Amino acid sequence: MNTPANIALNETVDQAVNKSVDQAVDDELWSAVGDPIRRRMLDLLLSGDGGTATTLSAQLPVTRQAVAKHLGVLGRVGLVRDAPAGRERRYEVDEARLARAVAQLSSVGAGWDARLQRIKRIAEAIQRSRED
Amino acid sequence: MEYGSIAREIRIDAAPEVVYEVVSRPEHLREWWPDEAELEPVPGATGVITFGTRTSPDAKVAPLTVVEAEPPKRFSFRWVYDEGERATAANSLLVTFELVPSGTGTLLRFTEEGFREKGWEAAVLEEAYRDHVTGWDHFLPRLVAYAARLASTP
Repeated sequence: MNTPANIALNETVDQAVNKSVDQAVDDELWSAVGDPIRRRMLDLLLSGDGGTATTLSAQLPVTRQAVAKHLGVLGRVGLVRDAPAGRERRYEVDEARLARAVAQLSSVGAGWDARLQRIKRIAEAIQRSRED
Repeated sequence: MEYGSIAREIRIDAAPEVVYEVVSRPEHLREWWPDEAELEPVPGATGVITFGTRTSPDAKVAPLTVVEAEPPKRFSFRWVYDEGERATAANSLLVTFELVPSGTGTLLRFTEEGFREKGWEAAVLEEAYRDHVTGWDHFLPRLVAYAARLASTP
């Protein structure tokens, strides 16, 4: 039935499903930044105004090939963008994406805050009903 | 905790016994978290929570394993691991509810930890971003030190 209430309910379910999809993306994002070398790379890219696999490997205790692989991981989740630079590719941090990542990571805590408020409301309602 | 955790405390005007039921029983879980919950609140039991309508192809089903169930003091479970795997410290998040009597009510202590470094990342990235807005000069030396400390933590 297409009552307004049903439509509203369907929208809520859609939002819940979209949220699940976002969470799957978050997982990749989180594992992308879960590696210390990749964090150092983000750091170096931010402080050095971008870089190439060669310039990064010169500053890190890993090979150029390993750096290229890590850059691929960061690129797949959109944290870095690349453009041709001579015979190499130059990478820089996508700051909008970094900002979004930060917002998503903060929302994990906010999600639990809302759940805990609901736990409180339910428990207090049960308590009151038992005292009546 | 040094790595990955969220911790919260909330005072509830209900007895620990009541709060324990709310955080552990499927019929209550459905009211504050997933749309469906199938779970026996005993240690070692596995269950599932479902977000969305279960019959819909878009429904998200997440397995869950009860770790501790000590009414009315403590309830914990692991989640966010792949279906078919056994939940361990290496592949899942541990959610713990600790209930402390407080007057006629309860102090509920909540933690979610073992974030595969996620929680740690949340803190670091947030700080990174904030500092990035005002300039990385202050932040970089600290991030490097922090990363080094994490890397040396087993």
